[in-house]
Amino acid sequence: MSELTISRRGLLAGSALLLVSTALPAIGFAQTPKKGGRLVLAADSEPRNLNPAIVASNGVFFISSKIVEALAEASFDGKDGLQPRLALSWEGAADGLSVTFKLRDGVKWHDGKPFSSADVAFSALQIWKPLQNLGRTVFKDLEAVDTPDELTAVFKFAKPTPFQLIRNALPALSSVVPKHLYENGKIEDNPANNAPVGTGPFKFAEYKAGQYYRLTRNDAYWGKDEPYLDEIVYQVLPDRTSAAAALEAEEIQLAAFSAVPLADLDRISKVPGLKVITKGYEGLTYQLVVEINHRRKELADLKVRQAIAHAIDKDFVVKTIFLGYAATATGPVPKSDPQFYTADVPTYPFDVAKANALLDEAGYKRADDGKRFALKLLPAPYFNETKQFGDYLRQALAAIGIDAEIVNNDSAAHIKAVYTDHAFDLAVGPPVFRGDPAISTTILVQSGIPDGVPFSNQGGYKNADLDALIVKASETLDTLARTGLYKEFQKKVAADLPLINVAEWSFISVARDTVGNIANNPRWAVSNWADTYLAG
Amino acid sequence: MKRLRRLLHTPEAIAGALILALLIAMALAAPLLFPGDPQAIAGPALLPPFRDWSLPLGTDRLGRDVLAELVHGARTSLAVGLAAAAAALLIGAVVGTLAGFAGGLIDEVLMRMTDAFQTVPSFLLALAFVSIVGPSLGVVVAAIAISAWTGPARVARAEVLSIRERDYVAGARVIGMHPLGIAFREVLPNALPPVLALSSVIVAAAILTEAALSFLGLGDPNRVTWGSMIAEGRTVLRTAPFLSIVPGVALVLTVLGVYLAGEGVVESTAVRRSLS
Repeated sequence: MSELTISRRGLLAGSALLLVSTALPAIGFAQTPKKGGRLVLAADSEPRNLNPAIVASNGVFFISSKIVEALAEASFDGKDGLQPRLALSWEGAADGLSVTFKLRDGVKWHDGKPFSSADVAFSALQIWKPLQNLGRTVFKDLEAVDTPDELTAVFKFAKPTPFQLIRNALPALSSVVPKHLYENGKIEDNPANNAPVGTGPFKFAEYKAGQYYRLTRNDAYWGKDEPYLDEIVYQVLPDRTSAAAALEAEEIQLAAFSAVPLADLDRISKVPGLKVITKGYEGLTYQLVVEINHRRKELADLKVRQAIAHAIDKDFVVKTIFLGYAATATGPVPKSDPQFYTADVPTYPFDVAKANALLDEAGYKRADDGKRFALKLLPAPYFNETKQFGDYLRQALAAIGIDAEIVNNDSAAHIKAVYTDHAFDLAVGPPVFRGDPAISTTILVQSGIPDGVPFSNQGGYKNADLDALIVKASETLDTLARTGLYKEFQKKVAADLPLINVAEWSFISVARDTVGNIANNPRWAVSNWADTYLAG
Repeated sequence: MKRLRRLLHTPEAIAGALILALLIAMALAAPLLFPGDPQAIAGPALLPPFRDWSLPLGTDRLGRDVLAELVHGARTSLAVGLAAAAAALLIGAVVGTLAGFAGGLIDEVLMRMTDAFQTVPSFLLALAFVSIVGPSLGVVVAAIAISAWTGPARVARAEVLSIRERDYVAGARVIGMHPLGIAFREVLPNALPPVLALSSVIVAAAILTEAALSFLGLGDPNRVTWGSMIAEGRTVLRTAPFLSIVPGVALVLTVLGVYLAGEGVVESTAVRRSLS
């Protein structure tokens, strides 16, 4: 109780502060970040491998992007949408055969060893290219990385590689790990995969399975005065409904990646002290897609695919399933993408009569029971929304006489059924658009991909035209010409419907008012949080 | 008539029978009351109950009629409950009679198998079975039956052990009846009443197990079940609690009805026995 004694000076100072704060309401925005404090937030999954250089996925980045940094980060206003991290500048040669990175000086690994171009060369050649899920495609032609000095890394490509693609890939694909810890032994089994060592603003402290991850401040961080926070604690809350309750009880201060269910946002936005933030995920767009197995003779018919596209009420999906926190899709590139998106593609407005007419035309008349044919529908189990869309799609198909039987699987069984066994007719999938169609989008329609590659064309679709276009775009160096080819790609996909893009959505954060510098870049939730602070 | 009056001699039994009769009527009349697909989208999403009298219990997150789902869900729950209980009783009675009547090695083998099944928690067994074979109505029934037959098997065996020493069984032996004939024609029918007394408990447990499986997403996704309705409602528990409460109450009432009616039957047979 003794802490509560009030001195006259303290009271005066306090009331003066109060006066100032009421006189200057805008002061909250111009506030200089405060140092110290522990940020506690909700984590809904517990990735075992925390090495972002190997597993480039948002679940891993969410934690490890604070520890292991990339060469550059996405930015709202930076040149080419990037801001420097470990690299200060990047330049592509005109022939597309090399890219030169100038690296940041005076950077130290968490174990005290200096960071140098050798680490970048090692990460690129030994990890990104051979082991990383996304790097395998983007860096497939990377031949060597020259290191003329400690702070210069020159990427050499065997075939011309568009500089635009490398640039767009930097935030997600270029996490640099220390060579001195990884050069001996098998990289996949390295203990640093579970307790990462990086150059980032926070150091990995501990992980208690089923409870929390704890990161502590890196006092030797290169950013001036950064980071502001002393500690970040990821509280494992696998149950989505509990995140909202934990926020209200002030057990956590932040729930990112839509940990609070969409249906709760309206209520929670009215709770004093909490704010709902829809920004900060512009660089992480998920797409709601109907994957189609073209091996089914009915679905190999373009008219049937068009009928299905006409049968889906995209506005209903956005309004009812995503409660407005999404946008309708027109094609394989999301509307939110500033570089490649074109609206000039064939569209399929909601029209049940037209869908029925198309199916009649295709020769699939309704039988006496009103049904034309039956399909197996596999909704991906990762999101509530994908499951709900599966329920909706079944109803939408019933309206046009297609009898869809839903098959529910857990994640592992779903991936096996769709991408290895091809035991589906229609599937609902959430692929991610990563800022460039060549990173993870063209693979959804390209033919010749081996069985078992998740989130790729496993529906047996083959279109020589489209394949040629994809290859051509991957070799086109000129940014404008390349962008044009991808606009052509969107048109062709929307016209031939190898898959049906229904909606695009991103995530929502809910935070307490005291958390500052939230959502200040397009990949905020998976960026390094060096400037995040806790006020008050 | 006399039997019915005896059956309904307690208020609990009357209440149970009423609830059950209502449920069965509801389940049978579902296609008449709500023709078409109960999962069809019928109105605006998340409509609260008692606002729109064409959708008296409101709508769920996709705008499906909760009352239609509830009534059709009664069909699934009762069908699964009865089918699973019938299957469990059948397996249990056969295994128990064989074990009790044959004795010796057969008895040992069958009873150790029963032990083995009893040592695994029944819900886990059902869960494992469904996740391996894949969720569909038949599989769910089988999964519940294989985890519920052990009780009836033990009761049947105990009854058979005492019945097989009776005079009429010895008589049947003397006239040269086949042992299997004696077991299933003479012994089993007389051993059945106490086994059947278990049925109410098994039906109630089966309905709950089915609901729990659907709640975990292991029910048949193409049918409405109360368990899956509760699971659906859970994501919006704070904003639309009625979505979980309505099927939850239905589940409670059903289990209660089955149990009370079952108790009534058991007591009435007990009364009859003491009278004779």
